[in-house]
Amino acid sequence: MQNGHLLELRQVTKRFGGVTAVNRCSLELAPGRIYGLIGPNGSGKTTLFNCITGLEPHDDGEIRYKGERIDGLRAHEVARRGIGRTFQIIRVFPELTALENLLVVTWGPFDEAHRRAQELLRFVTLDRLQNEYAGNLSYGQQKLLEFARILMTDPELILLDEPAAGVNRTLLNELLEAIRNLRAQGKTVFIVEHDMKVIMDLSERIFVLNYGEKIAEGPPGLIQSDERVIEAYFGR
Amino acid sequence: MTFVSLSRTKKTLLAGLVIGLILLAIYPMAATGYGIRFMLQLFMWVALAQSWNLISGLTGYVSFGHVAFFGTGAYAAAILIATHGWHWAPASSMGGIAAVVLALIIGYPCLRLKGPYFAIAMLGLNEVMRVLVSYFEGLTGGGLGLSLPTLYASVQIYYAAGLAAIAASVAAHLIITSRFGLRLMTIREDEVAAEAMGVNTARYKLYAFLISAFIPGVVGGLHARDQGYIEPISVFPLLTTITMIVMALFGGKGTVWGPVLGAVGLFCFQELVWARFLYLHQILFGAIIVFVVLLMPRGILGLVQQRYHLSRSL
Ligand SMILES: Nc1ncnc2c1ncn2[C@@H]1O[C@H](COP(=O)(O)OP(=O)(O)OP(=O)(O)O)[C@@H](O)[C@H]1O
Ligand SMILES: [Mg+2]
Repeated sequence: MQNGHLLELRQVTKRFGGVTAVNRCSLELAPGRIYGLIGPNGSGKTTLFNCITGLEPHDDGEIRYKGERIDGLRAHEVARRGIGRTFQIIRVFPELTALENLLVVTWGPFDEAHRRAQELLRFVTLDRLQNEYAGNLSYGQQKLLEFARILMTDPELILLDEPAAGVNRTLLNELLEAIRNLRAQGKTVFIVEHDMKVIMDLSERIFVLNYGEKIAEGPPGLIQSDERVIEAYFGR
Repeated sequence: MTFVSLSRTKKTLLAGLVIGLILLAIYPMAATGYGIRFMLQLFMWVALAQSWNLISGLTGYVSFGHVAFFGTGAYAAAILIATHGWHWAPASSMGGIAAVVLALIIGYPCLRLKGPYFAIAMLGLNEVMRVLVSYFEGLTGGGLGLSLPTLYASVQIYYAAGLAAIAASVAAHLIITSRFGLRLMTIREDEVAAEAMGVNTARYKLYAFLISAFIPGVVGGLHARDQGYIEPISVFPLLTTITMIVMALFGGKGTVWGPVLGAVGLFCFQELVWARFLYLHQILFGAIIVFVVLLMPRGILGLVQQRYHLSRSL
């Protein structure tokens, strides 16, 4: 691993026609920490995640994972290297059962996968619904299922796009607990979240995007009082 | 949730299946020529509906040109039989391989297309194949068609077609009950999420497409031998594709037994009504399509399966 970074972005740029969704964005993630990514609507957070995970080819810059270039790889290759993600808009497999949603993302021995899947379903309290189609689950349950599905692939870097949105308080607390648990296991978590309380509590370091550009970076305390951040969020 | 205790039901079904297969195996001894030809065609329909189900029912890539593989297999086998003196059994296998080769060539570009674009590309493929076959007269006899040496082999072809239907159904069972099959379904469910979860969707689609092309290729070869004569319009008709689709949809796409049920139901219906009321038959067939698409998009088995939380393989 080059200079100890798990993920390293150098001047990453992504344009959609005339819109520069991500503009020369550079950042580094060290292993075993929780990072936050915030910014107003349309500031390029989801697009940045899409570039990292290979779903959108970027136009410029470099992305390195464990010191190796991963830009140019296809999304499934990036995933198999250990980067997992959830989506801002839930993307479970609706006509697969909850259990199948987890089994399908595994490659190892079946029995072991099955055991792990049931363990994870218990963990997200969906064990009684394991044979239910994912599409029949409630919004919050689908969100939990998507979270469990990521864990099933056992990634080292986990990108969460607004995990708290639409999740009720009790569920949210469990989710936050689960995320902290991941960190305890040595995973790296990168979270996009609009709920400031959640992101400030959780993250050790926060990046702020505005119009695709990184305008600030630092620990939560400093970010909260950063002039440019306040301006980006509230205007002058 | 209503969980039906399956082990008992399953045993009964399995026993029924075995008895059914034994009956079908001895059927030719007692049957009339018509009966044998009827069953032989039914077997072919089961195999065709299963093959369509593998690509379209599982991955959601709706093929509107599946008969192209049937026609390609028919021509490949017919040419081998008529001009190279091959036995029809290996010739039909080569028909399957010819269809796979075609699928390999067109699969890569076509499977990048999404939704209706893939469906239309496949429709176009079928037209192209028909024109190509008509054009290369030296090889295929062009529009005049290709005649095979006379041979009375209905009973053997009955068994071969039965074997094709069984093989296609066993393949469907193995695929649908495996993680490979689940991965194919993730492509139907959400291709982007499947990629992001590490599924090489391009490769999986291609695998499904190749398997799905092989079966109609073989069946096309058997059909050529059975008919003794083929021409471009007889082995590349759009109606054949539509019939496979309707059978799979009616029975329940994405399930193991749906295509079997659909093929048996619709083919028997067709034969019963066809003989008596030619026009009524077409109207009814059209009505079934509309009915299925509007009211039963999951098909009969899809409904039952959802209602009772049964697995896709029963
Ligand atoms: N596929 C696309 N085609 C064209 N423009 C796009 C596409 N995806 C994103 N954009 C544009 O890129 C910009 C950044 O969008 P993005 O979704 O990354 O923002 P975001 O920070 O995730 O916003 P939000 O907080 O609302 O989720 C927006 O202007 C958006 O319109
Ligand atoms: Mg977003």
